[in-house]
Amino acid sequence: MRDGPILEIRDVTKRFGGVTAVNRCSLAVAPGKIYGLIGPNGSGKTTLFNCITGLEPRDEGEIRFKGERIDGLKPYAVARRGIGRTFQIIRVFPELTALENLLVVTREPFEVASGRAQELLRFVTLDRLQQEYAGNLSYGQQKLLEFVRVLMPDPELILLDEPAAGVNRTLLNELLAAITRLRDQGKTILIVEHDMKVVMGLCETVFVLDYGEKIAEGPPQVIQADPRVIEAYFGR
Amino acid sequence: MKRAFLLGLGVALLALALYPLVATGYGIRFMLQLFMWVALAQSWNLMSGLTGYVSFGHVAFFGTGAYAAAILVTTHGWHWGPASLAGGVAAMLLALIIGYPCLRLKGPYFAISMLGLNEVMRVLVSYFEGLTGGGLGLSLPTLHASVQIYYTMGLAAVAVTAAAYFIITSRFGLRLMTIREDEIAAEAMGIDTARHKLYAFLLSAFVPGVVGGFFARDTGYIEPIAVFPLFYTITMIVMALFGGKGTIWGPVLGAVALFVLQELVWARFLYLHQLLFGAIIVLVVLAMPRGILGVLQERYRLPRTL
Amino acid sequence: MSVVITPTMVVQVVISGLLAGALYAMVALGLALIFGVMRVINVAHGTIMMLGAYTTFWWFHLLGVNPYVSLLASMPLLFLVGAILQRTLVARVVDAPELSSLLLTFGISIALVNLAQLGFTSDLRSVEFLTGAFLVGPFAFSKARLVSFAFAVAITLLAYWFLQRTKLGKAIRATSQSSEVAMICGINVGRIHLYTFGIASALAAAGGSLVAVILAIQPEMGQVFTFKSFLVIVLGGAGNYPGALLGGMLLGLVEQLSSLFLTTQLSEAVAYVLLVLVLLLRPTGLLGGRAR
Repeated sequence: MRDGPILEIRDVTKRFGGVTAVNRCSLAVAPGKIYGLIGPNGSGKTTLFNCITGLEPRDEGEIRFKGERIDGLKPYAVARRGIGRTFQIIRVFPELTALENLLVVTREPFEVASGRAQELLRFVTLDRLQQEYAGNLSYGQQKLLEFVRVLMPDPELILLDEPAAGVNRTLLNELLAAITRLRDQGKTILIVEHDMKVVMGLCETVFVLDYGEKIAEGPPQVIQADPRVIEAYFGR
Repeated sequence: MKRAFLLGLGVALLALALYPLVATGYGIRFMLQLFMWVALAQSWNLMSGLTGYVSFGHVAFFGTGAYAAAILVTTHGWHWGPASLAGGVAAMLLALIIGYPCLRLKGPYFAISMLGLNEVMRVLVSYFEGLTGGGLGLSLPTLHASVQIYYTMGLAAVAVTAAAYFIITSRFGLRLMTIREDEIAAEAMGIDTARHKLYAFLLSAFVPGVVGGFFARDTGYIEPIAVFPLFYTITMIVMALFGGKGTIWGPVLGAVALFVLQELVWARFLYLHQLLFGAIIVLVVLAMPRGILGVLQERYRLPRTL
Repeated sequence: MSVVITPTMVVQVVISGLLAGALYAMVALGLALIFGVMRVINVAHGTIMMLGAYTTFWWFHLLGVNPYVSLLASMPLLFLVGAILQRTLVARVVDAPELSSLLLTFGISIALVNLAQLGFTSDLRSVEFLTGAFLVGPFAFSKARLVSFAFAVAITLLAYWFLQRTKLGKAIRATSQSSEVAMICGINVGRIHLYTFGIASALAAAGGSLVAVILAIQPEMGQVFTFKSFLVIVLGGAGNYPGALLGGMLLGLVEQLSSLFLTTQLSEAVAYVLLVLVLLLRPTGLLGGRAR
């Protein structure tokens, strides 16, 4: 395990016209832990994800991954450095089969990739649906597919955008168990989530954003009681 | 099942190869043009069917190839075979120049930027009269080569269909398709979409350029309006759409079906014909977006790589 | 090019450019509305403009009444046509990938152009109404272009007023920001789509009618205007409605200026080169708009 944070965000600002979606946000993510990123709607969480992954160029600030700057890189370059990301709205490739969805994201030789893909599909019990078009799968199945797809390139840092959204209890528990297992394997996970039970139960450290600024940081129990956080969600 | 298909394919190819021995002049010309349309529709499919980036100006590559080849033949005495290949290269060059800026755009923006391309090529060709003969056109030395062109056009059609096969059954092809499915997700998963789009574009420009060269040799005379008509792009698109874009045999099917229709209707009713094409496009988009082949694939659970 | 270019010529050309620019802006606004509200690129936009031009032609030819009055006929007529097209065809692909609406409107465009070929033949038509020019000092301005310009400005201002001040206009703007939010606010998004397409078609028709007194009319005249409308939107920034105004002016200027320094033939290609340049250098438009 290397020293120093795996992801560092320094004074990142992102504006859209007159709106400042992310405002001098700074945070550091240590490797091998599960982090939560919470905040009221519109607090800039997904925008921050987009800045990290290169989908949106940030206006100011630096983003470092394993010590190297990644701000300004195109999304595919960021992904290849070892950062994986899921989306709020599911983005599987509908006209590709479940298996193809996994095969297409890796450049490994076919046999190797196929083997790993089968394993991952088995892991989420989708292996019997591997030849089914992803577009024909149910919401929950697509969610699982997107989850294992992000694991195919074996990223070190995984950004999950609302993994619990629209997911039933059983499936959710499976996902949470999977996330914990990933952490145990040494991966770092940053989760944007609205479901507080998930955040409190899973995350070791939680960042709270409000109006694009980080207003609190710490273990879940501390955050829960932080007056600023309470005000951000319920006050005003 | 697959073996029967391959056998049938082999027989068909053999028959086509032997056809000139028994065919009439009209028959050869008919098939020659059919091959040309198969090649064009399939080339369009390589780009637009797979990546979802609609090229509305694809005829520009055809015309560029035609002129490049014609100029090489008339001014530099090249043989029309190599000249046509050079035409393909010229078309690829054009694709590189245009593709580099325009492919950065999102799909619909790219499509519109391609809309103006064939007009610009027509204007440029008309302007550089010294080189291209301008509005007066370019005449090639007389040569009756229908049979040879039959074979070369046929070869082009086979080659591009084979290319389609290899691409669609490969991971490269899958990656191209992810661009169509969800470009943002594709990028987020580490696929360099810009480069892939460009590759597909270059590939899709080559054969139209070559075929343009054959066309120039075949008709013996080209002028700007003849080789840069919007109608050719429309026809390519209808054929690929109708047969089934994104598949291997779809464009072939569409080309055969609609070329036959064309021979029956177009000769006398040009505008009605084009009107029909417009209506077919509307119909396909609304009712069968994956074309005839798509319908068959659904019905009979055929493999996607067909 | 051995012609001496005097300042007078430049000023003349600049003003000609602005005159043309207003027309471009008005037509482009229509395309921008459709794209902004429905995320549809209406390849048939120029074709509707062509139909507007023919409406004016037949109006003038059959009734002998002032062609500018035909605006009262062409705009409502094509509003209706646009609304019907939207309701029967375009509405079905609004939620489909953008590729579908692109191909659909392309197909509609081809069908309409060839209907026009069948109905009107490809003979060039013209509306000879206002000939001659106003002479102001050293400058000569074609009367037809001036009057068309005036109408274009008036209609565009009316359109902007409509978008800013009326309930429907605001609803349209709200929907183009976010259709989800609009739905939550109780806006009937389906109906907004209908009206937007109709209004955009009316604007295109107005462009056609105003251009009918200036240019030759033939069924394929619309395609270049679709392309130029698109260029205007790229120049001004997508989703930036006032930007379309500036974009139109800019296009008009660039075209006229280039016809001064280049041959007329080449100046046709200028619009295209301009597009490629802008896309390379400032893809979000000169005034900045949505990048996606």
